[in-house]
Amino acid sequence: MFNLLPIAFWSDPAGSSALTGKIVFGLLLGVGLLFALTKVPTQMRRSIVFGGTFLSGLFYVLFYLWPQPITRGPNDVPRDAVEGVAFWLKDSFSVVVNFTQIISGFMLGLGVYSLLRIHLTRIAKGHKDAFFSFVLLGSMVAMAFFAYGDYILRLDPVKAQELENPDKWGPLTRGRDLLFDGLLQQMDAAMFSIIAFFILSAAYRAFRVRSVEATILLATALLVILSLMGLVADRVDGFFGGLVANDPNDFFENFKLTTLRNFIGDNLQTPSINGITLGTGIGALAMGLRIWLGLEKGSGN
Amino acid sequence: MSYPFIKALVGVLATVGLYSVLYKENKFYRFFEHVFLGLATGWTIFVLWAEVLKPSWYEKMMGTPSVNGGPATDGQWAYILLLPLGLMAYFVFSKKHNWMSRIPIGIILGLWSGQQVQVWFNTYGPQIKGAMKPILPSAFSSFTVPANASAVDVYPSQALSNLLYIVTLLSVLSYFLFSFEVKNKAIIKFNMLGRYLLMIGFGAIFGSTVMTRFTLLIDRMYFIWIEFFQQQVLGRG
Amino acid sequence: MSIANKLQTLPKTAIYGILILCTSLPLFFQIPLPNNPDQASKDFFREMMTLDASKPVLLSSDWTNSTRGESKGQMKSVLRMFMRRGQKFVLYSTADPQAPQVALDVIAEVNRERIKKNQEPYKRFEDYVVLGFFPNAEAAINGLANDFKATVKGRKDFPVGKEATDVFQSPVLKDVDSIKDFQMVVVVTASKTSNFTVERVYGKTKLAFAVTGVMGPETKVYYQSKQLVGFVNGLKGAFDIEQLMEKGLNVDSSASFRDDTHPAPVEGFKGDDNVGQGTRYFPTLHFAMALMIIMVILGNVGMVLAKKDSSKKELGGR
Repeated sequence: MFNLLPIAFWSDPAGSSALTGKIVFGLLLGVGLLFALTKVPTQMRRSIVFGGTFLSGLFYVLFYLWPQPITRGPNDVPRDAVEGVAFWLKDSFSVVVNFTQIISGFMLGLGVYSLLRIHLTRIAKGHKDAFFSFVLLGSMVAMAFFAYGDYILRLDPVKAQELENPDKWGPLTRGRDLLFDGLLQQMDAAMFSIIAFFILSAAYRAFRVRSVEATILLATALLVILSLMGLVADRVDGFFGGLVANDPNDFFENFKLTTLRNFIGDNLQTPSINGITLGTGIGALAMGLRIWLGLEKGSGN
Repeated sequence: MSYPFIKALVGVLATVGLYSVLYKENKFYRFFEHVFLGLATGWTIFVLWAEVLKPSWYEKMMGTPSVNGGPATDGQWAYILLLPLGLMAYFVFSKKHNWMSRIPIGIILGLWSGQQVQVWFNTYGPQIKGAMKPILPSAFSSFTVPANASAVDVYPSQALSNLLYIVTLLSVLSYFLFSFEVKNKAIIKFNMLGRYLLMIGFGAIFGSTVMTRFTLLIDRMYFIWIEFFQQQVLGRG
Repeated sequence: MSIANKLQTLPKTAIYGILILCTSLPLFFQIPLPNNPDQASKDFFREMMTLDASKPVLLSSDWTNSTRGESKGQMKSVLRMFMRRGQKFVLYSTADPQAPQVALDVIAEVNRERIKKNQEPYKRFEDYVVLGFFPNAEAAINGLANDFKATVKGRKDFPVGKEATDVFQSPVLKDVDSIKDFQMVVVVTASKTSNFTVERVYGKTKLAFAVTGVMGPETKVYYQSKQLVGFVNGLKGAFDIEQLMEKGLNVDSSASFRDDTHPAPVEGFKGDDNVGQGTRYFPTLHFAMALMIIMVILGNVGMVLAKKDSSKKELGGR
């Protein structure tokens, strides 16, 4: 899209007044666009949303399906329209990927904004949990402050080298380390490990041999668990290995825990999971096509 | 008290604080829960700017000077247009204009959906190819595969295993695809077989999940007892 | 209360208490265990140890401390293998904003080990490059797979003692134009990024994964269809790799450390510091797993006894 106008129109040297002027112009243009969109009549909205979705999907469809030249030198020019489109698609790819990253980045900020809205409202209204909201916002500001402060410090190469030695850490680096490694990472690990308690308790209370399905599930789970216990696997395999003198064709070889586990893993577990993933893959493909073509319920309404 | 001791101590306090929910929901837990959320959000804000928006958007828009002999880059002003596009997502909170938030979401979804055909074939093409296994034996000198077997020969035990693989895959797939009401008795039976075989997959997933979850708990116990208690408190190791 | 009821209604706090004991006490003892590494772990090890050290590897670190127990052990082994073999690598993350910092912490830890042994630490920018975090994993991996140079353009890293510099100034990336110029993509992950990588990168270069146990069965599908050259699965995989690093493959006479499909010997790092999370946690895992089996059996025995009791009562009632 950048080759519609001369390159000089789209870029200017860093810090130049021309660049600043164009950025201000672009910002005003964007704000104008936002304002114009607020005035769009209701019946046009679906078309606008669908148009954006379809065109962005079309880019990748063309990118994969459009014939590409086998080789292309840096100074090559397209010989015909087909090759022109191929060149354009290839050149635009990085721009599209970069745009996706940036828009995703802005959208990640949406979660932060939502959190801020909820907790600032709680504090403002003196909600009974306002203290916890205050704690949340305080932790958030502290982490952002120390992390960015440490980042800025490390932009100075001499300082960055000095900070390799923990004895030379100042309050910013120490604060970042304490909040990130000392607290956040430990709590992250603690949060996810709590599930171990629930999984054991749930298995004890609910994992019962009540139906054929539950029995198969339980038997496979037990086999997997036993085979993951190296000591048990070694003892069982050793016992049967002793019976058959390790002849791989002996009938008793099949009773080795590792052999049994591998057999079930290769011939039953993998195809059954493959069946699930193939099924969900077909579903994702269908949903992708429905979204792209605007057939998904509610798209754009 | 040394800095490593304080750092380990706050980690242990936070871990115990979060574990206190196992007894019942309490204020100690809620305090650390909110600290956790706040710190995670604070870190996300930092990374979002320092590692994503700054290099990919701001510096591309503003341009950068030459560093360590590297090229200076010109600023590309058009990147500013992405700001209003990104901000449209924030209209989701507006009662009147929330439809505008669907424009950037639609673009991201469109970009995702456009990739799906290629993604599908790249992912499942080799799997489908790999599932096409020979089910008729071609060598009968031994029932099982002998040690010096040729790679092209299919022995009866291999053929049986391959048959099992294909039946499992097809029956599970059939169970998935014919999830609506089916009247054909053969398909009903085949689906039932798929349902049973599916349980083998779920059983394996459960067994592996148990390993992961217990390992995460073991890691926490290692942190509390070895890294904090033994190394920091007792000063051993 | 009957035995059947007692067996089925153990208090929650008692179950949690026993679990804490089972996962704590064994940690204080060093228990050597036999092991039979999985074929996937052997393949992973062989591929890692036979890489051409002059060509870089792309390393995706998509885990945080939430899965430290499994992922850190795997990551540490991967880094030890890279650093001991002088393998240059390029690090990036797409799953979580915390992931790049967590990976850098492990690199620093392995570097401290090297300094202790009077070995040169691995230098950022010279020996490895950090591309940082990319949001929207699918789009980022798609970009890296189809136009690596353009996707990474503008990213900066920190050479030791110098200002933030464009990553393509690094000697690690000097011959890299596309993803095909990496001899392998190694993904250490606790999220869906492994799937996204297969979806977009398969066919362009070799893929090897280190995944959490939860993801193991799904990853095995990719391995069996030969989309991956090898993978390590959860704590067992971490233990396998640590043992393989110590004992090598096809080196000694132990049947467990032989691979008849590829009989060439692959030396490990015998006597070096190969112990990590895998070796430390694996014995304790046995106790926790045994507890799980016992609890499930207790619950089921309770159910069977309760059924017998009720049928007896029914018979008595008649």
